[in-house]
Amino acid sequence: MSCIDEILNLVKHVQPFPKVVQRVMGMLDDPETDVKALAEIIQYDQVITANVLKICNASYFGLPRKVSSLNEALVIVGHDTLKDIIVTSSSARFYKGAVGDGYRLEQGELWRHSVATGILAKHMAKKHIQGVDSGVAYTVGLLHDIGKRFLNTFVADDFKRIMIKVVRDQCSFVEAEKELLGISHAELGGMILKKWEFPEEMQLAVLQHHDPDALKKEPLTALTSLSNALVVTMGIGVGADGLATRVQGEGLKRFGITPLDLDLCMANLLDDMEQAQELFHI
Amino acid sequence: MKLVIGISDMKVSNQADDVLITYSLGSCIGVVIWDPVAKVGGLLHYMLPDSSLDMEKAQAKPFMFADSGIPLLFKETYKYGAVKNRLIVKVVGGSQIMDNAGIFNIGKRNHAVLRKIFWKNNIMIAKEDVGGTGNRTVSLEIGTGITRLKVSGRGEFEL
Repeated sequence: MSCIDEILNLVKHVQPFPKVVQRVMGMLDDPETDVKALAEIIQYDQVITANVLKICNASYFGLPRKVSSLNEALVIVGHDTLKDIIVTSSSARFYKGAVGDGYRLEQGELWRHSVATGILAKHMAKKHIQGVDSGVAYTVGLLHDIGKRFLNTFVADDFKRIMIKVVRDQCSFVEAEKELLGISHAELGGMILKKWEFPEEMQLAVLQHHDPDALKKEPLTALTSLSNALVVTMGIGVGADGLATRVQGEGLKRFGITPLDLDLCMANLLDDMEQAQELFHI
Repeated sequence: MKLVIGISDMKVSNQADDVLITYSLGSCIGVVIWDPVAKVGGLLHYMLPDSSLDMEKAQAKPFMFADSGIPLLFKETYKYGAVKNRLIVKVVGGSQIMDNAGIFNIGKRNHAVLRKIFWKNNIMIAKEDVGGTGNRTVSLEIGTGITRLKVSGRGEFEL
């Protein structure tokens, strides 16, 4: 079996994304949805239930007593935080263990990079890039590098050749992946989102997040590429690929985003990351 | 003891067996200073050039910015007996992603401000490893002043 066949075969066996996500997300968009109906579905996912209770009892919410019922917790955290908890808990299970060591990432770093990108993407959707739902932006941010988690072992096997190509040819890491493995982590990620039946715009944003022209494409794609570029610039969860990624910065003009805005986003992200660390224990 | 310096953070030590280390400098800059007589060293990991971006933030996190962080790094070592003209200064980081338009040139701006501050204050840089697209990890052994640098694609070496 060739390398590319082996990789594609891997996608066939990727575990499904928790079904509760799609079911609950639709309900949360409807303001009439009541807590009982939500709890009815969420209670069957132990990880999400545990996380809702844990986060509800975190000092961030400043409750005077411990909450132990899911119904009560759902009222306290509110719809927006609940969405974040559900997507974060559902994604986290795919980032456990040494999933980034092929990229020379320490344990937990790929997840930290993903959370940072998610938080920044949400901020961008609220402040700078019109027409993108902030919850969708957060989810794509969390999952944009999911391909790395599965390409990891193949990158490890061919690591030397990839690095030589990056250094000698001054190409981006993704270009080297594509040439030597036959597929990039972005392409693989797009396929995985398709398998998980995420909407097409989300698949496309993950697939194209390393396209040098990403900032000129659909708003969700542009936002994902921009958020990733800034998190990489800050060095959060960055491995051997370093900053060897290509982006055509002039694409930012259409959104009216200036270098000063980028500086501010980076400064704010550090504070937001501290809060996320408290809430999600990343 | 290993002391880890995060993003927008700084640490100083005069304990011979301490090692100061900061991981994953992208566009951020790491400033390493060491006095070979007082055997005092410090490491700063700043993220952005100019504190005028957000003065409130600069008050809360002065090590986020070059102009507020660098003076504090030097002053902190003076408290442990370091002398300005003895300090050996090394500068690393300031990479950037591949963008022909230069919008993401945060690394370059971070480095330019540092050079200006050092020039104004008569501070010489002994060693420097700045720019490119590599990701850097730098460490300083307080007892010996040995500075080790790891750059993606170039391996680990003494600076």
